[in-house]
Amino acid sequence: MKKINDHVEELFKDVSYSEETEAIKLEITQNLEEKVWDLMEQGKSEEDAINKAIVDFGDIGDLKQELGNKKTDKKDLTKLNLGFSIWGSLLIICLFIFINFYYTPHTIWFVYPTFCVLWWPLSMYFYWLRKN
Amino acid sequence: MIRSDIIRGHLDSIILKLIFEQDQYGYEISKQISERTNDRFQIKEATLYAVFQRLEKKELIESYLGSISHGGKRKYYRITTLGKAFLREAAEEWKETKEIIDLFMEGLD
Repeated sequence: MKKINDHVEELFKDVSYSEETEAIKLEITQNLEEKVWDLMEQGKSEEDAINKAIVDFGDIGDLKQELGNKKTDKKDLTKLNLGFSIWGSLLIICLFIFINFYYTPHTIWFVYPTFCVLWWPLSMYFYWLRKN
Repeated sequence: MIRSDIIRGHLDSIILKLIFEQDQYGYEISKQISERTNDRFQIKEATLYAVFQRLEKKELIESYLGSISHGGKRKYYRITTLGKAFLREAAEEWKETKEIIDLFMEGLD
C-alpha cells in the first residue's frame, strides 16, 4: 500500500501543511486502501486494484480550492512582516548612526552595517510582492 | 457516460441525501452512487472530499471516527439538523426546476 501513500503525498505536495490537511490526507489514504481491498476481493490483482483506485480518484483541484478558500480568511501576514522589517531596520540603522557620530565622529562607518540590515526589509518586500 | 455538469450542481444534495439515509464514510458513498446509477454516473473521489469540506464548513454534516477497518479508523459523516432542513429545501427546489425544464423538453422524443 506504499504506492497509495506516495500518491496521496504527491497530490498534496503543494498544499501547505496543517492539521486539517493531514486529517484529510489520512482520510483519503484510508478510503483508497479500502477501495483497493474491495477491488481485490472482486478478483483483481493488487497492482491492478491500486492502479484503478488511483486513476478513479481524479484530480484534487476542487479540494484545493475548498482548502484555499479558508486560507484567504486568514490574515495576510506578509504586509505585517514588511512593516515590521521596515520599522525594525530603521531603528537599528538609527542606532548605528547615533553610535557612529557619538563615539567616532571622524570615521563614517555606519553605512556598512546599514547595507547588511537593509537585506531584511528588501527580502520582506519581495515576499510581499509575490503574495500580491 | 452522462455529461456531468448538471449533476455536479446537485452533488451536494445527492451526497447529503446518502448521509441522511445512513451515516456514511467516503468510499461507501462513491460505491453507492455507482451502484444506484448502474455505473451511469461515477463520482471522482477527489470531488467527494471537496464536497465533504464544503458541507462540513456550512455545518450541514459533522464527522466522527468510527469502526476500525483495514489499517485505520473510518471517518464517518452524519447529517445535522441544519443539513436536514437544507436537504428538504433542495428537494423542493429540484422539483420546481424539473417541472420548469419539463415544460420545454417534453414531447420532443
